[in-house]
Amino acid sequence: MDQSVAIQETLVEGEYCVIAVQGVLCKGDSRQSRLLGLVRYRLENDVQEHALFLYTHRRMAITGDDVALDQIVPLSKDFMLEEVSPDGELYILGSDVTVQLTTAELRLVFQLPFGSHTRTFLQEVARACPGFDPETRDPEFLWLCRHRCAESEAESPKPREWNSDPGTRSGFAPIGGGRYQSWNARRGLEDVLPRGPGYILLWGGATKEPEFLLAEEVHEGGPVRGPRARGGRRDEALEEADWEMSAGGGSRERDCAGGYNVDSSRPNGRGLLPLDQSSGARCPDKPENSLTRQNRSKAEITDMVRSSTITVSDKAHILSMQKFGLRDTMVRSHLLQKEGEYTYIQNFRFFVGTYNVNGQSPKECLRPWLSSDTKAPDVYCVGFQELDLSKEAFFFHDTPKEEEWFKAVSESLHPDAKYAKVKLIRLVGIMLLLYVKQEHAAYISEVEAETVGTGIMGRMGNKGGVAIRFQLHNTSICVVNSHLAAHTEEYERRNQDYRDICSRMQFSQVDPSLPPLTISKHDVILWLGDLNYRIEELDVEKVKKLVEEKAFHTLYAHDQLKIQVAAKTVFEGFTEGEITFQPTYKYDTGSDNWDTSEKCRAPAWCDRVLWRGKNISQLSYQSHMSLKTSDHKPVSSVFEIGVRVVNEELYRKTLEEIVRSLDKMENANIPSVTLSKREFCFENVKYMQLQTATFTIHNGQVPCEFEFINKPDEETYCKQWLTAKPSRGFLLPDSHVEIELELFVNKATATKLNSGKDTIEDILVLHLHRGKDYFLSVTGNYLPSCFGSPIHTLCYMREPILDLPLKIVNELTLMTVQTADDRSQLEKPMEIPKELWMMVDYLYRNAVQQEDLFQQPGLRPEFEHIRDCLDTGMIDHLCANNHSVAEALLLFLESLPEPVICYSAYHSCLECSGSHTASKQVISTLPTFHKNVFSYLMAFLQELLKNSAKNHLDENILASIFGSLLLRSPAGHRKLDMAEKKKAQEFIHHFLCNPL
Amino acid sequence: MAKKTYDLLFKLLLIGDSGVGKTCVLFRFSDDAFNTTFISTIEIDFKIKTVELQGKKIKLQIWDTAGQERFHTITTSYYRGAMGIMLVYDITNGKSFENISKWLRNIDQHANEDVERMLLRNKCDMDHKRVVPKGKGEQIAREHRIRFFETSAKANINIEKAFLTLPEDILRKTPVKEPNSENVDISSGGGVTGWKSKCC
Repeated sequence: MDQSVAIQETLVEGEYCVIAVQGVLCKGDSRQSRLLGLVRYRLENDVQEHALFLYTHRRMAITGDDVALDQIVPLSKDFMLEEVSPDGELYILGSDVTVQLTTAELRLVFQLPFGSHTRTFLQEVARACPGFDPETRDPEFLWLCRHRCAESEAESPKPREWNSDPGTRSGFAPIGGGRYQSWNARRGLEDVLPRGPGYILLWGGATKEPEFLLAEEVHEGGPVRGPRARGGRRDEALEEADWEMSAGGGSRERDCAGGYNVDSSRPNGRGLLPLDQSSGARCPDKPENSLTRQNRSKAEITDMVRSSTITVSDKAHILSMQKFGLRDTMVRSHLLQKEGEYTYIQNFRFFVGTYNVNGQSPKECLRPWLSSDTKAPDVYCVGFQELDLSKEAFFFHDTPKEEEWFKAVSESLHPDAKYAKVKLIRLVGIMLLLYVKQEHAAYISEVEAETVGTGIMGRMGNKGGVAIRFQLHNTSICVVNSHLAAHTEEYERRNQDYRDICSRMQFSQVDPSLPPLTISKHDVILWLGDLNYRIEELDVEKVKKLVEEKAFHTLYAHDQLKIQVAAKTVFEGFTEGEITFQPTYKYDTGSDNWDTSEKCRAPAWCDRVLWRGKNISQLSYQSHMSLKTSDHKPVSSVFEIGVRVVNEELYRKTLEEIVRSLDKMENANIPSVTLSKREFCFENVKYMQLQTATFTIHNGQVPCEFEFINKPDEETYCKQWLTAKPSRGFLLPDSHVEIELELFVNKATATKLNSGKDTIEDILVLHLHRGKDYFLSVTGNYLPSCFGSPIHTLCYMREPILDLPLKIVNELTLMTVQTADDRSQLEKPMEIPKELWMMVDYLYRNAVQQEDLFQQPGLRPEFEHIRDCLDTGMIDHLCANNHSVAEALLLFLESLPEPVICYSAYHSCLECSGSHTASKQVISTLPTFHKNVFSYLMAFLQELLKNSAKNHLDENILASIFGSLLLRSPAGHRKLDMAEKKKAQEFIHHFLCNPL
Repeated sequence: MAKKTYDLLFKLLLIGDSGVGKTCVLFRFSDDAFNTTFISTIEIDFKIKTVELQGKKIKLQIWDTAGQERFHTITTSYYRGAMGIMLVYDITNGKSFENISKWLRNIDQHANEDVERMLLRNKCDMDHKRVVPKGKGEQIAREHRIRFFETSAKANINIEKAFLTLPEDILRKTPVKEPNSENVDISSGGGVTGWKSKCC
């Protein structure tokens, strides 16, 4: 579940919680819930740094008040987050993902919930890891300093994994974790700021300092969430717009901190100039703060973070990469496809103005230019060029003119409406201002601004363009103000400047994974500015004469822009309205007279407005001769632009439909199979007799991976006597696989089944990867057998085992060998198991002279027959090959849960294997029944040896066969080494050579 | 700040005796359909549905479990990680009601401590065959402070409401209220009342 919203509230401007996941921090036996937030911080030069913020939290965190910062782990180069298989824990159905976080200083283990969200989280973290490219700069994590204090405040003192020297901390003011604190911090900052331009609501009329108060008001009232909420679809984007418009202090602070709105206003020299260009107002916080921050702690912190420059494996980067944003992308593309269904076109009035002010300060009211229209425009796009021609403006990018002209414009907006400033962007002398009517503010989103310098060296800001892109309702709009290269003959240069601006102007997207937007990717483009195209091939006087005659059509033929556009070398796809005003350049300042200076420039239509896009109609295109401040005249154009507006109800409906269809698709994509059979009954299962059952898994339409998985607290997916073949596999759509269930009871499982401790009953869980789990039940009954029964148990069974009630068999099997000796209340036991006698007697009667007895394999069907005869007592029917009976005898001895020579006596037997007397001594300590069986077998073997001439047996052969059967290591068969084996043979050997 | 198609993912679980209608309840909610033939669920199945609550898009992953007793030990291992559990009984089947306390114990033992529970008294369209009086159902819900709904997958009564209320309750669990005002009865409207479980 994503709780990043809560985390975001604890962060300061510039930090962004990319994703959060709730997990369990495992320390030894303790399990504590933690929220893990991946936080991104964007520095200058587009460099990003990341850290994992770990929070304690109250239940499911929804607001910032629910979480408390516990620890920060920076994603330094030695950071690694990898999936591990839990130590010694069994895999549990749909179990959590265990991940281990390691850095040079610490190692933490988390359990994250099973599912795609965790996958996304891991993927994001992997992406955020700084990588191991030695070329890249090591992250410094200066920005984390401010959290140090909050972190240490949040919890009682305990060793910090991030062991910053407390001495270095004191330098940083605590920035609160809760929303309230940071809110206050923001407001506090605003209070000390000089009243800057922007972020203000303005009345059209000139009012004395209304701005600050209004800004306050907006703050108090909180952001206008109500009306602009649109099913959450654009909230986040709007949030940003909101910031721009109402939270002045905040936006400035963010810029100062180098926040995520990075460089929207920075000129070409990336990070060269430390001042914030967009607001123009000097940010008091920035220089001082960032400097002290760097001076004081950079070294220490860098040392701290990079305390070990170790090379690590690339593991964090190979965490399983699944496709995630798929659903998001699909919703988005569906919404786009169906845009027509839930939007309608509504006309908005746009005022577009351009004015080259020749470095002058505002000297006259701008209303004749900005408010000459009877109707108040909905949107104002006002561009200036040559705002400041001073060196200071060029080199330090600082100019008081910005504020002056901003104020002048703000005061001259149409008096019939209230406007909100959306954005101000400036590159040296090129400035663009965007205002909207207050009531439209809530529908402005995704505001981004960028600059491109094309001046000196092709990069500097004396020429170039600035642009603001935004979304008005559902229409994307880009406004560009450019000042292209000067001089009549330089039209090629101007064309190039245009192309440079188009290619280099890139706006970062709301979704960082998407490529940046360019100017051409907008529904509506409005391009204004001093484009500097001149009237060519006519001498000055001729031009002036034609102007006087208002022979504009004749002049058009010589207008470079018209010529170049017609030649499709520039402004392709753009339209310009008919020019019905005289050239706007060049006049003697303060007059309407053509330039009388030495250069005596020919008049030209330098200042132009062009557009591209659908549903745009130009209502007016004019110059304003009454303004005399500059050597240019301002130009304005009013447009009626059809904007796509969302019908909330239809939008909701469309979204609902899309979500439903995606849900349906997602459900259809859950792997699903059909099983031909799910209940398996194995009747009358006998010892060492294989029973099989098969079923088929038919796959549906989704490729799937299947596997039989362990049930809780079990180590295998089924009981020991069962196997499924294959137990895992992969199925293509519509394919099938046959699974064979094999049931086979051997000596390892027979005793438990005889005793009733185990039954032929099991449930298998067939798990489909990312899908359902199917249960298969296995039932049946086991027919008890003398095989696998203890010696003493068989001695107490006077009846064949299958003639006894199951309950008695169970009881007798559970009886221990110690109690067996004094069970006087029971029927008198036999001295040895009758089954043993039956087999030995059979061999004694038929096989004493059999060649290679015990050395040739028996026949399997005959074994089953022998087993049945023994278990039913039908010994008279026993008719089998001698070798089969001999093998059955060996199997019988092997299947005894407690060997003839008890496990407890095993070691003493080996110790005294050198001495016959001592060996006899050990035998005498065995329980009665075991002792009896041992003597009986030895007597039989000695009998066989008497016929060694015929049967070719000798002591050594028999000792080697019976040594390992009668003497079994309690440690298990496999561990029997040669020395032990030899001693066991030696031990048996005594009893074969010596009289009993 | 990518726009997400959902803000939260809630894992819900349906439990209760075999034959009480868990699968039908889920089928009604996910596909708005009903199937009269009874096929005993002998598996763990889940469906996805995205809903919007309090302005948040919530993806519900609803797990349907096998009700048969022989699978109980296995199904309890699916409780872990569930944020909400719907406990279903059949008003025409007394045994399924008697087992409710057993199921509740199961939840206590195996589910997350703060899991949100809800009781569904299913098959309420068959009032003529009712053997579990309303009062008894209300009593057990009150005792355990669980919200309940009378539902019918067949007649489509309260299914949607139940599935929207449970995640809402999960959302609401975040302590936004003052500690001493937590213990408030909340009537859910629509003629059905329930109790909000205490917030700790």
